[in-house]
Amino acid sequence: MEGKGDIILEGKGICKGFPGVWEHLILDHIDIDVKAGEIHTLLGENGAGKTVIANCLSGFYLLSEGQILVKGKPVTLKSPRDGIRHGIGMVHQELALVKPFTVAQNIVLGLSSSDLTFPLTEVEDRVRELSEKYRLYIDPLARVEDLSAGEQQRAEIIKVLYHDPEILILDEPTSLISTDAEHLFDALNSLAKMGYGILFITHKIEEALEAGDRVTVLRLGKSMGTKETAKTDKTELVKLMFGEHTPVHLERKPVKSDKIALEVKNLEALAADEEPALQGVSFTIREGEIIGFAGISGNGQSELAEVITGLRRATRGQVVIHGKDYTNRSPGEIIRAGVSHIPEKRREMGVIEPMTVAENVVLKDIRISPFSKGPFLNMPHITGHTQEIVSRFGALVSDLWKSQTRILSGGNIQRLILGRETWRMPKCIVAVYPTQGLDAKAVNHTWELFMRLREAGSAILLVSEDLDEIMALSDRIAVMSQGKIAGMLDGGAAKREEIGLMIATGAPKT
Amino acid sequence: MNLAFLRGIFIGSLHAMVPITLTATGEVIGESSGLFNIGLEGIILMSAMTGALGAEAGGPIAGLLIGVATGAAIGLVFGSICTYFKGVQLIAGVGINLFAAGLVTFWLIDLGVPGHHAVADEGQMVDISTPLGDLSPMIIVAFVLPVLTYILLFRTKLGLKIRAVGENPQAADVAGINVHRLRLLSTVVGASLAGLAGAYISVDWMGSVTKEISAGRGFIALATVVFSGLNPMLVLLGGFIFGFFDNLAVWVSTMPAVQRVIPWQFVSMAPYIVTLLVVAGVIGRVRFPAAMGIPYERE
Repeated sequence: MEGKGDIILEGKGICKGFPGVWEHLILDHIDIDVKAGEIHTLLGENGAGKTVIANCLSGFYLLSEGQILVKGKPVTLKSPRDGIRHGIGMVHQELALVKPFTVAQNIVLGLSSSDLTFPLTEVEDRVRELSEKYRLYIDPLARVEDLSAGEQQRAEIIKVLYHDPEILILDEPTSLISTDAEHLFDALNSLAKMGYGILFITHKIEEALEAGDRVTVLRLGKSMGTKETAKTDKTELVKLMFGEHTPVHLERKPVKSDKIALEVKNLEALAADEEPALQGVSFTIREGEIIGFAGISGNGQSELAEVITGLRRATRGQVVIHGKDYTNRSPGEIIRAGVSHIPEKRREMGVIEPMTVAENVVLKDIRISPFSKGPFLNMPHITGHTQEIVSRFGALVSDLWKSQTRILSGGNIQRLILGRETWRMPKCIVAVYPTQGLDAKAVNHTWELFMRLREAGSAILLVSEDLDEIMALSDRIAVMSQGKIAGMLDGGAAKREEIGLMIATGAPKT
Repeated sequence: MNLAFLRGIFIGSLHAMVPITLTATGEVIGESSGLFNIGLEGIILMSAMTGALGAEAGGPIAGLLIGVATGAAIGLVFGSICTYFKGVQLIAGVGINLFAAGLVTFWLIDLGVPGHHAVADEGQMVDISTPLGDLSPMIIVAFVLPVLTYILLFRTKLGLKIRAVGENPQAADVAGINVHRLRLLSTVVGASLAGLAGAYISVDWMGSVTKEISAGRGFIALATVVFSGLNPMLVLLGGFIFGFFDNLAVWVSTMPAVQRVIPWQFVSMAPYIVTLLVVAGVIGRVRFPAAMGIPYERE
């Protein structure tokens, strides 16, 4: 192994553009290096290109331009196997494990021994040995699908370490194990002390400051520079990540209308695992009012949104939209009643991924003129309409009728959904995590948009985990806890600490 | 009913199970790797034809080998379309069936008697005499191959790799496995066994080629694969069940006494109805590779 502080992996002028997909490069001349014995953090928002760099450095993607050097020697990586051979091991974000196989079987897959052998017992012993050595405990005989997310991640790290790499690349490892990140950082620190070079990818500034020796910030495919963690702080990193921006000033006039747009009475529903998810939720939203549902996800917010939009059955209670009972009606009827839905899982619920951008944008409108004339689609109108939404929301797409939605980044899909669900100025909007994956500028635009919709009389049910968002937008704030509304606060007067305490304890402050 | 009678049914079933077992064993390998070949019926038909002509030219063994080669060649085309060219597997498979049906019909016309061609005696495989009765040596092959395939899939690293590319091709790619090449290899091996099955039918079992000689056995083999849940040992059992009913239909056609009770047309339906029932019974309970039928793309 190289001495401490020597550069062991270096990327020079790395460019990557996926053919036909983007008008700009996904990676634009990135320089990055990893030294032996250090943790180098790669920090950036979703869609900044972090994963693409990792895939390029590990041999999964081919470079469009640029050079990779291992210990100063240029190398060409054509496949992950080349990466492994040069001592580069990558822990993928969506773990590269075959679920029905055991941990040991997954490791056997990557061995270069003869195909007719089956060195299982040998691998099992070595896994136990590595588990001890790195204190990443894992049962080699356990089936991957039976393991928890944290255990699966440990298995993946052990799998990579099995090949004796010198460089370890971890792509957003904390996204799977938000509660157990400390343990991972300990393990990474001890690996670094042993002389491994570690490239750690995250979108969380705190983690970059806590875990790394150096941090490189990425914004929209460009490197914003590399800093030593000891000599930088949160403010500087925020500036590098998002660019200079002034927080928007949102003006809020009092709610004008007394008309109730959405009323939910004593609602109960079951979660996917048949456990009670909603246990008697009641509230009303007036026209021109935003109610923010705060709380840790998994306390019934998703189910609430699904019941209102007709995607989940209510076992008790009522959903009343503009005075008419819509309990357990079909999603189609509820859409026609004027309810828009910005869904939680944008890829699964928000779009049909293999369909094109234009098709997805008009998905809910094709039944009516002028989007269709009789049985035929009105192509010129659809094209114009999609073009308008794409440019108004600043979505990056290459071709409206050719690009599959699948290849867009999460943030761009979110922009399309926002456009589709709000252009009609709907009477009622159920918005679940509406700004997920957007950069700071787009978040500001979305907040402004919501305020305009509010002015125009939309009733908005906002579910968010981001307290800033809840506090900036909501007229009233409902805190969800274990399927109930733990308390309803006035948006203007609520204090951050008050909401935080309520989220944590599930009870209003006494 | 006497003992000789039952023995006859048993021997007939053993012969009838050979093509289904061979084809299904091959398809287990292919489906484990993630490719679903609906063109097995066409491969059986084509190799029955080429195998018969090969046997007349160079003896029964040459005929069987020509059948294997025919299957491999079709498998190579099918596999390439479904991996490197990212084609739709269903369409490619249906293409094979249509191509085979057309070509064999034309070929038989060209040979003289439309629709039928008897394989010359010297081209036919000779059965071996056993205390049980005359048995084709191919029955042994049909019993041994599933066992070998089981060992390959579940007891070797190659088998683990094949199952990995079917289950999670991306993880396999990351592990350094050439996904396209391994899927192609698996489907070529699978198609070769279907080719062997086709040649067995014409060269050994029936001793003739007709344009309907495959008689749905490719599809029954697909059903056997479903029944087995991709376990080659269960292919043996499934193959025998389907073979039994296949043979039953033939047997009833020689028994006027039975025919007075049940018209033979109904008995001929038996193998197909049993297929439907078995598949309807087990489907949903069987777990198939997660990535089966989906072309793999890295970027």
